[in-house]
Amino acid sequence: MKRADIVGIFKKDKPRVKSTLRQFYGVVWANIKIMFAYKSWMIMDLLSTVASVVMYYFVGLQVDPLTLSQSGWGTSYLAFSLIGVATSNYLWSCLTRLSHSIQHEIRGGTLETIAVTPVNMLTFFIGQTVRGYLVSLIFLIGVFVVGIAGLGVQFVTTPSSLMATLVVFILMLISNQGLGLVAAGIIMVHKRGDPVAFMVASMNEFLAGVLYPLEMLKVFPLLQMISMIFPYTYALDGMRRALILGASLADAGVLADVVMLSAFSVLLAPIGFVVLNWGYRTIRVNGSTSSY
Amino acid sequence: MKLEEIIKFLSERVPRTDVGVLEKVRAFVIRDFKTWWTYRLWVLLDITGALTSVATYYFVSRIVTPTALVNAGYTADFLTFTVIGISFQHYVWSSVSSLSEAIRDEQYDGTMETILSSRTNFRVFLLGESVFRFLVGSYFLIASLVMGLIIGARFNLTLGSALSAAVLTALLIASHMVVGVLGAGAILKLKQGDPIVWAFTWLTQLFSGVLYPLGLLPEYLQWIGAAFPLTYSLDGLRRCLMNGEDLTSMAILGDAAKLVVFILVMLPISLWVFKMAYDSTRREGALGQY
Repeated sequence: MKRADIVGIFKKDKPRVKSTLRQFYGVVWANIKIMFAYKSWMIMDLLSTVASVVMYYFVGLQVDPLTLSQSGWGTSYLAFSLIGVATSNYLWSCLTRLSHSIQHEIRGGTLETIAVTPVNMLTFFIGQTVRGYLVSLIFLIGVFVVGIAGLGVQFVTTPSSLMATLVVFILMLISNQGLGLVAAGIIMVHKRGDPVAFMVASMNEFLAGVLYPLEMLKVFPLLQMISMIFPYTYALDGMRRALILGASLADAGVLADVVMLSAFSVLLAPIGFVVLNWGYRTIRVNGSTSSY
Repeated sequence: MKLEEIIKFLSERVPRTDVGVLEKVRAFVIRDFKTWWTYRLWVLLDITGALTSVATYYFVSRIVTPTALVNAGYTADFLTFTVIGISFQHYVWSSVSSLSEAIRDEQYDGTMETILSSRTNFRVFLLGESVFRFLVGSYFLIASLVMGLIIGARFNLTLGSALSAAVLTALLIASHMVVGVLGAGAILKLKQGDPIVWAFTWLTQLFSGVLYPLGLLPEYLQWIGAAFPLTYSLDGLRRCLMNGEDLTSMAILGDAAKLVVFILVMLPISLWVFKMAYDSTRREGALGQY
């Protein structure tokens, strides 16, 4: 190839992709390809997810089924904890994936590069978030497969209970994503760590009843009150009602959870977008899109 | 200044001060403390995370029957059992994984090559990188145990059992420094991910009896647990801190002996593995690559 040909290639003005949908697809697909490049890491992650389920199988052997059933959640601690462990891990990885990838892009100096291209940054952030949901879904499904097929956990899987689970699950993601966006906005400015996501995950694990029935918090009214300010508490309650007790969307308990989750979604999602926008504007104004 | 003078100035051999190992380790600790203390919010969040994970098991202990613990030879107290398990597992995990992270950060920031091209050799470098991590881990360990005490864990402490627990903790640290060095060697070569720390973390959680006595595992899985120093450390520490036994007990003596054997066998191997990874990375000129 002659020098003039090479110069000609660089001079050629290639039409840029303007469609938001194509950009969104590009962000999701590019990141999924990167993830599949680390196959051994994916296998290791999958194995540790499986290990976390098996661990609670052995913990469950020590649980008194009578005490558990008195809390109204049946007699299988594994079924009870599986929903908690699987969804809390899923939520944790979804919430942190956006902020971690922003942190990674800033450190690698690629956020600035993306910011100067015609890619819409909102599309970029939403693409990163959706990629997080899809990737973590592999692990979530893995956990349920191990629990149900490998360890014999039995859930109520009528169409109405599955529908209720799906609705509560989607509302769980929407309501918590507001917090994920807040975390991402803060991390862009402060660069290090992920304090918001860490705090939410710790409190979820402690107070939302991931490993124990929430009824036990009744003896500590202050803790019980704090647990009520986390949307995950309602999501977990709703999913357990559906999958363990077979409740449908018409069930008063599930309905109350759905209402609360919808309220959290309406409240937190706009706050999340405002903080994300603030973070992005701040680093652009400060010129710190690639400093860490 | 003329060119000749600059060349002469740069050619001059300035005698280096031979700094002792202890002095260097102290410098590493001060440096790491300063970095750690810059992120005070994280110090607070980390401690909150450690404490809430202990507190969670207060509620789990309300639905557990202690039969399996009694069968395994421990006192019937699930809360104390898990407080010890979680606190010490978190202690070794955070110390071991943060060593790999530190190596990774040094590579990322390009400071590793600088340090290792000075007169600090890799053994001192590893020791220096490890000490502060274990000190911070100790701070979290004590906080978790105190938290356990507040929420109702009961430790059966006599002078003998406390001293024996101290000996076992020292062996626990030494044996896990070995694991940390292996992980550091792996990260030096692989750059992304650390299979040693990863395997160590999830395998010990599952097979070392952090949340349940090993007797609950099928026999073939108990064999896997026997390969990890945390298994012996936790068993010995629980016998000391829950049952009030000391090193005169055959079970604790057995645990201590196995830890000593692990250290004696694995220390030279892990140093050799690290040296191989280090030399190979140096030859490739990739110490500063990430």
